[in-house]
Amino acid sequence: MDSLINRNTPKVMHIDLNSCFATVEQQAHSHLRGKPLVIAAYTSPNGCVVAPSIEAKTFGIKTGMTVRDARLLCPDVIVRDPDPVMIRDVHIKFRNITRDYSPNVVPKSIDEVVINFDGVLAIQRGLENIGYEIKKRFRKEIGEWISCNVGIGTNRFLAKLAASLHKPDGLDVLNHENLLDTYTSLKLTDLNGINTRFEARLNANGIFTPLQFFQATETALKKNVFKSIIGSQWYLRLRGFEVDDVQFSRKSYGQDFALGKFTSDVEVLSQYIMKLCEKMGRRLRRAGFVARGIHIGMIYDDWTYWHRGRKVTQPMFTTQDLFTKAMWVFNQQPIKKIVSKLSVSCYDLESSKESQQSLFDEYDKRKEIAQAIDKVNDKYGEFVITPALMMGMGDVILERIAFGAVKELEDIYC
Amino acid sequence: MNEPVNEKVSVVSSYNRMKGVIIPRKMRWQGKDYLIQKLSYYHKRRIGKETFHVFDVTDGTTDFRLVCNPENLHWTLEEVSDGLAH
Repeated sequence: MDSLINRNTPKVMHIDLNSCFATVEQQAHSHLRGKPLVIAAYTSPNGCVVAPSIEAKTFGIKTGMTVRDARLLCPDVIVRDPDPVMIRDVHIKFRNITRDYSPNVVPKSIDEVVINFDGVLAIQRGLENIGYEIKKRFRKEIGEWISCNVGIGTNRFLAKLAASLHKPDGLDVLNHENLLDTYTSLKLTDLNGINTRFEARLNANGIFTPLQFFQATETALKKNVFKSIIGSQWYLRLRGFEVDDVQFSRKSYGQDFALGKFTSDVEVLSQYIMKLCEKMGRRLRRAGFVARGIHIGMIYDDWTYWHRGRKVTQPMFTTQDLFTKAMWVFNQQPIKKIVSKLSVSCYDLESSKESQQSLFDEYDKRKEIAQAIDKVNDKYGEFVITPALMMGMGDVILERIAFGAVKELEDIYC
Repeated sequence: MNEPVNEKVSVVSSYNRMKGVIIPRKMRWQGKDYLIQKLSYYHKRRIGKETFHVFDVTDGTTDFRLVCNPENLHWTLEEVSDGLAH
């Protein structure tokens, strides 16, 4: 069985900023350091905790809790809004430092990057030394409160696993010598990609520990557990072979909004839809796409869900196009209930340059107007020119950094 | 607790030619002088084509967020914070 472990020198490094949103806030506001702090999507009691500080975690506060629950665990917890501009700035500094060591740096999320050192001269200095140096540079060049976990492995999966072993501020290497010992000390859900549902599926097939998962045959994983190629991928992944070095192209753009005040009022909801379409449309146009599909999803106050997607013949480019079609889909709801969360997305993307020209002037004129409005907003700031329906909305639907999403990072680099 | 302020303030700053950085050193706000002890974080904020320089600083007891508009060189105190929950 040993021969099936990747015995090559580990060349993949995973870096993960510790409690990123909270640590960055503590860096900027020195009086928050050493105190339980949570960054929440909204500071209201129902707001979702996006990141607890290392100190807040000691009280049992976890990501995904409500602010109300966090306060029950720690009445003196400090609650702050995220600061997307500052977080993005830290991400760019963080990514630029890592790029000094290898040209092959892939951001996995706002606070994680993967560096591949294959064929890079810097590897001669030893990845552990480089890892410690990067930690030191983060403290010096970003801020003294910024700490990170570094994991080194033969593939992305093992590098990420290594980065999660000793939090905060750890550095671990996983290779063929210590891999089995590490699996012995972990639970199935400690493995990145194994959630409670996959755990149940593994349990149903007699696999209860990572070591048993590792010892399972490829056929058993492929035919019995995952019933697809995913089983073979897990077989290789657990042995340190790379299966995750793939990039997916963008398939859609979407925005969503959790309503502070639940409502079924179509006029109010249409305002929200318009603002979501404007934000989505700006990103769609900036990336040079048009969309041929529109999707609306709603969670109601009774926790039921309704969603529908529809394709359209004329490609959508302007905010008005997106809004008109979104409202068309919205009005297909069978029962208009009180909405608590609203999401709009567009899909079936194609390049705006390649999309077929219309026989009629009207469409092209609208396209040019949208581009002109975008130029004004690029110069003077977002929402300087907006559709009339958005008047008076102010900061409703605030800018937020998508949690864990990788594709959203392209907006940072533009 | 953090309080939004958004008031123009007087600032004395220094420029380090070796590091190429500007650091606010002293601020006068509502008739009182605050000696800035440390620059905690600096970043740029873009609004349209305009870039603002954001300095998170502390005088040792309170944290301040100062924003410099390079267009007119005006300084704005955006926020004060004492690091308390309530």
